[in-house]
Amino acid sequence: MSPRHHPTHHPADATLLRLAAGTLNAGLAFVAQAHMHGCAQCRTRIAAFEAVGGALLDSQPPATLAPTAFAAVLARLDETPAPAPAPRQAKLNLPPDTVLPPILATCDIGPSLWLGRGVRFNKLRLPGTAQAGAPQTNVILVRAAANRPIFRHTHTAQELTLILRGGYTDITGQYATGDTAESDATLLHQPRADAEGCICLLAFEGRLLLTGWLGWCQRRLGG
Amino acid sequence: MIQPTGACVKAPVSRYDAKRSAARVPLSRVPLYWAALLSPVDITAPLDAAAQVRLIGLVAEAQDRQAFALLFKHFAPRLKAFHLRAGLADGAAEELAQETMLLLWRKAAGFDPARAGAATWVFTITRNLRIDAARRRQSPLPGQLPAWPEADPSPSAEALILENERAIRMRGALDTLTAAQRHVIELSFFADTPHSSIATSLKLPLGTVKSRIRQALTRLREQLGGEA
Ligand SMILES: [Zn+2]
Repeated sequence: MSPRHHPTHHPADATLLRLAAGTLNAGLAFVAQAHMHGCAQCRTRIAAFEAVGGALLDSQPPATLAPTAFAAVLARLDETPAPAPAPRQAKLNLPPDTVLPPILATCDIGPSLWLGRGVRFNKLRLPGTAQAGAPQTNVILVRAAANRPIFRHTHTAQELTLILRGGYTDITGQYATGDTAESDATLLHQPRADAEGCICLLAFEGRLLLTGWLGWCQRRLGG
Repeated sequence: MIQPTGACVKAPVSRYDAKRSAARVPLSRVPLYWAALLSPVDITAPLDAAAQVRLIGLVAEAQDRQAFALLFKHFAPRLKAFHLRAGLADGAAEELAQETMLLLWRKAAGFDPARAGAATWVFTITRNLRIDAARRRQSPLPGQLPAWPEADPSPSAEALILENERAIRMRGALDTLTAAQRHVIELSFFADTPHSSIATSLKLPLGTVKSRIRQALTRLREQLGGEA
């Protein structure tokens, strides 16, 4: 995520359009947002899609408001909103040069859980949701040691990964810091961390299906 | 009480101390605010993009309630229409329109006219509110998208003008889409469904919907000079 990195893998147009429209699954939206912090190109892309939303809004024929609408809003202009509670985050002990996207500061981070040799993960609870892994908000932070296979898995729907540090390689290519990888239910893959190791955010719709002997870990993912 | 009604009025400047604002506003923004002092705003017509920017500036700099009234008159009925179109009930659409206007008031200082047009900014506020409301109802909708980091503290006058032009061109660009293309783009915004569900509701193959969206986005890109 540092300035010298220019991501080469970005979310697809369809994903960014749903993000702009507000119809993308919360977990995927969170990871796409995190990517955009370090990607000027995607910030420009989504600005254009949001401008479509702005143009649609501005061209709506006006609806009739309640007669008291304006007075009701005026009466509330001087209210002070209550501040959001501070998130609770487990200590991650990340390498000191890891640059985390600021959006990570907004969520709770659960305790580290083991997911095979050299691989750990933490569940994230997104702001405004009752619990980690609430429907449609599955996001985990995965840390894999150098050259370790991350885990062999497939998913029941869409998945979006963002590399925060290091990188990984799978059958679809090599992904470096700042890159996103998108995949759907048709892909069974086993990413392997690169020589630097890999720290990534992973959001998935539906369930993540671990295959092989790690399948038993499944219940830890709430799947 | 100030009402958002009435005939053609001067841009609201009553509590707006131009000298004080000129000292606080980056120099590059000053011409637009001066323009706000000089040009009349016809509130019987929809606010154009430049007037929206000026009025939000007045709310940000001077907590100007008359400017807010004009913004309310323009945006609140359109916000309600937008949410009605997206399938919300009358009461919920009304509430979202009012909440959006309240946040417009609170967040006006964070509006960066060099980054997005005013209508686009208002759209992102209301989109996030709709997401929040849906999450409270525990329906499968996304988490709130926080504001973009790193606002440019002093956008150039050119940047402001470019962004205004872009907002206007986007309106025009939407009008150049074919009816079928516009339909899938609108469905992307007004229906909380992935493209596969849009395909089902239109009784079209998913590939057709995807290629229509792709064509529409390509067309918008061309119209916007390759920035989309
Ligand atoms: Zn990108």
